Amino acid sequence: MTEFNLKELKALNYERPEIERGYANQTLYVNIGEPDIAVKPVTEQMKEIFIGGKGFDLWLLWQAVTPSTRWNDPENTVCIASGPMGGTPSYPGSGKSIVAAISPATGSVMDSNVGGYFGPYLKFSGFDALEIQGKSDQDVVVLVDGVDQCIKVFAATGLPEDAYALSETLTDQFADGNPRGISVVSTGQGAVHTVMGCLNFTWFDSKRKRVRYKQAGRGGLGTVFADKGIKAIVARWGSVSLDSNKPADKETLRSVGKAYSKEIVGLDPKQNQMSKVGTTHLVPIMNDFDLLPTHNFKFGQHPHAGLIGKDVYKDIFDPGFDGCWMGCTVACSHGVKDFVPLTGDYAGQKVFVDGPEYETIAGCGSNLGVFDPYFIVEMNFYCDAYGLDTIAVGTGIAFVMECFEMGLINESHTNGLDLNFGNRLGALTLVHQMARGEGFGKIVGQGIRGMKKVFAEAFGADPVVMQDIGMESKGLEFSEYMTKESLAQQGGYGMALKGPQHDEAWLIFLDMVHNYMPSFEEKAEALHWFPNFRTWFSLCGLCKLPWNDIVPADNQEEKEPAKVMKHIRWYAQYFAAVTGRKVAPEDLITMSEAVYNFQRIFNLRLGFGRREHDTIPYRAMGPVTVEEYESRQERYDGQLKEKYKVDIEGRSSEEKVGLLRQFREEQYVKLQDAVYHRRGWSNDGVPTPETAKRLKIDFPEVLEVLEASG
Amino acid sequence: MITLNGEGYSWEEGMTVTELLNGLEGDHDYAVIRVNGKYVSKPHFDEYQIPDKAEIYLIPMVVGG
Repeated sequence: MTEFNLKELKALNYERPEIERGYANQTLYVNIGEPDIAVKPVTEQMKEIFIGGKGFDLWLLWQAVTPSTRWNDPENTVCIASGPMGGTPSYPGSGKSIVAAISPATGSVMDSNVGGYFGPYLKFSGFDALEIQGKSDQDVVVLVDGVDQCIKVFAATGLPEDAYALSETLTDQFADGNPRGISVVSTGQGAVHTVMGCLNFTWFDSKRKRVRYKQAGRGGLGTVFADKGIKAIVARWGSVSLDSNKPADKETLRSVGKAYSKEIVGLDPKQNQMSKVGTTHLVPIMNDFDLLPTHNFKFGQHPHAGLIGKDVYKDIFDPGFDGCWMGCTVACSHGVKDFVPLTGDYAGQKVFVDGPEYETIAGCGSNLGVFDPYFIVEMNFYCDAYGLDTIAVGTGIAFVMECFEMGLINESHTNGLDLNFGNRLGALTLVHQMARGEGFGKIVGQGIRGMKKVFAEAFGADPVVMQDIGMESKGLEFSEYMTKESLAQQGGYGMALKGPQHDEAWLIFLDMVHNYMPSFEEKAEALHWFPNFRTWFSLCGLCKLPWNDIVPADNQEEKEPAKVMKHIRWYAQYFAAVTGRKVAPEDLITMSEAVYNFQRIFNLRLGFGRREHDTIPYRAMGPVTVEEYESRQERYDGQLKEKYKVDIEGRSSEEKVGLLRQFREEQYVKLQDAVYHRRGWSNDGVPTPETAKRLKIDFPEVLEVLEASG
Repeated sequence: MITLNGEGYSWEEGMTVTELLNGLEGDHDYAVIRVNGKYVSKPHFDEYQIPDKAEIYLIPMVVGG
């Protein structure tokens, strides 16, 4: 048993409000520097315009910071919110928490959507959102206790470093006989030493009698958390039922939730089988379509990809019904039982690993040239334990390996580490170093943008080559999909508000495989509609997977099958049933549009959010090297001849790489033009005052930013 | 005979996925199907021959993570 001490620094007793139609109607503010605790009201305007979840986070963060706030300033604020539907147990995917803060990776606003029980427990305890501001010179634990109606800030000593042991210890500490009533948010030592720290959100798995985890991974939110001196935030709550949100129309909620659950139970076994294999089904599919990143996004396919796909992991996963929120029939949160790591502090011990999911498999497997499923499980385990984002770690190390193989860096820079593609021990050694802030791992932990600077300035590496192959945009590492043959998805990554993460838009199949959007205008329409609808899930406390990863059997008969309109109609009913606010399916887009534009304007306020910030490395657009070109020569030669009408007779591969690049970069610029126009933005990517007015976000301070932005 | 989305469907020796899909009513945009638990993707539809007694599910859409 770990010896630890929690010394109470500040406490506030409060009277828990009744939830009304999905809202607690107040938020919680904790300043851990003072320390100070306060309760703030939620206004009707907040609910009308910002809805909840990410919308509330952004509004609170906007009030908390100034244009000059940097990620490690005390006024930067970690905001965590559920949403009006968050915590509904009968509707699949309704337990999400959304986290936002200014990111150490991008310097701008970051948001991340995560499972686990924290967001719903926070709301049922009486708070639609939590703001944590300030910095503490000692480790602190914040307790939001909805059962005893008190908030406490503790000084903590002696608590474990790694996320697994820490969350288990705190769950035991506060459970009072009901561990299922506890959710812990924490990070780990990796967040202290890198800019890619993630947050682990827990729930208690009653069947296995253990704490389980999901991660708010992107953009270093865990790094902000650690920099503030927050060891953990704990929420404590009792039972949950359909009544917990006090829905406006319980019968409709029951009915639509039942229909959705039944559909998933019936169709998932016929479709993606996520209740058995999670998102690992994507590995063989992406590989078949040349979309699985291998060797730092050079290629999209590898003959050994079958070794790390669903057929392998279905036998490695511990069987069970694994939802990250109560009653979710998608149940995709699988894990590996009795895994024995070969390296690190847990070497030789049996551990439970939450994951891996597709992104971790592609990022920490194929993208590193590794096709060993157990290596990926070990990377997954240590990233979680250290509080590191597996996507940033995978994409970051892939960049390092390519630099190593190209001779841009060598063993004299890596302290003797051989970092060729496929070197499993080298990759794991780097992860351990990153967590401890030691050796070459300390540099890798600064992310690709940071590495490019160090490699160029200290090691003399060619910055132009690194710009082409370093898979980051806005300072955030790319998530794990190849985009070379999908212009729409290049835009989906490049024009994503926070950086290249696919939660805004995943258009590759619609664009590349089905050719649903051949014109720039059609691509722009998709890059308006899909990012906005995907945003809506984060306003409401929802997961997007049930929307379009299980598709109705008659979906093809819909006018726009890509939108899965039957489910959107159900979502509109669901929203109305909880909040009492009558909405049509098209209203959901308008709700999101307000928040989406507000986030773009927030970026502007912090010095970002223009066309120049929406650029992507050429590796995301096309072949950087002759090796890449010649590996798919028939495809590229064909495009040059047929699409661009170029006579390629007698031209070298180097010349053809250059010609293709010129065409593809021109296309991306044209796409930006079309998207900005469709979104109601200027040609520089700035929302117009008319757009702000239409969306009712024309607050004086917003108009000030727009005026200053030209 | 094979099963298609849980229902019986006639089978012919050498039948490819493309031939199977061409024989279905209505519009369809299937990019992936599952045959006896394994995925077969569109790039292989013309060449992949469906075995007798295969259990096939049509995956309606692939939409990413």
